[in-house]
Amino acid sequence: MAVRTIEVRERVMARNDELAAQVRSTLRQAGVVALNLVSSPGSGKTALLERTLEVLGEELDVAVVTGDVQTQNDADRLARRTDRLVQAVVTGGACHLDALQVQTALAALDLNRTRLLFIENVGNLVCPASWDLGEESKVVVFSVTEGEDKPLKYPKMFREARYAVLNKVDLLPHLRFDLSKAVANARQVNPALRFFFTSALSGEGMDAWYDFLRERVRECVPA
Amino acid sequence: MHELSVALEICRIAEEKLGPGEAGRLVAVGVEIGEQAGIEPDNLTFCLEALLGAPPFGSARPEITRLPGDTLRVSYLEVDDGRPDD
Repeated sequence: MAVRTIEVRERVMARNDELAAQVRSTLRQAGVVALNLVSSPGSGKTALLERTLEVLGEELDVAVVTGDVQTQNDADRLARRTDRLVQAVVTGGACHLDALQVQTALAALDLNRTRLLFIENVGNLVCPASWDLGEESKVVVFSVTEGEDKPLKYPKMFREARYAVLNKVDLLPHLRFDLSKAVANARQVNPALRFFFTSALSGEGMDAWYDFLRERVRECVPA
Repeated sequence: MHELSVALEICRIAEEKLGPGEAGRLVAVGVEIGEQAGIEPDNLTFCLEALLGAPPFGSARPEITRLPGDTLRVSYLEVDDGRPDD
């Protein structure tokens, strides 16, 4: 048997990254800030979005693309808080969203009426780190019930993120959670990570998060 | 967990690079995985073995090379060109 070798040298993520670049370009042309929310299941992404939609939904023309593995529960919850279109992606078992799914979802959104887009990824701190969706930034959400060492256990996600929301801080009095240790662990893997400390339930710390979102939208001008 | 998605994309790239009728004669797929690529090599190997042993492929095997960094790429394909050994 004579074997012929074909040199390939092609990045596995090249096709996804090409689609992500198209998504990024579409969003920039429309002047839309897109944030990809990533976290483990149960950290409070949907609650954070519910509260954010209540306060900023109209003011910042917020739209949401939400990904779930098997249900439309998150999309249904969010749709009750806004009349802005919430586009659901049911991944059918896949553990992450990819750029093609986001591109398809965007086609159903009126980007001319959108200034801030949240992409709520599948709850998973591993896989979504590897998929560029064309977002401006990844925002990693983790909660005080999860343990201070999450950033060390899932370094790729915390490296990929530009912002971190430490959620459920209303529970701190009831837990043995060392907040400064959690921040130090996160900064160990990503020194530039900017933190927000929130409770989507009580509203604590949410004003800083809202001000940040207003600032991001203000700074974004259509390309 | 996302290794199956990655394996499917590797197979798509392989099919794209191969000529008509060559998929069944594919012998090996070289894949480079960086230590920081977020890929579990044994898991990816398992997925690739399953996919490369089914049509349109015949019985190709994955050949994994570990590297530093976050590289994740298909490096080469080996195809049985049907000729006897020289």
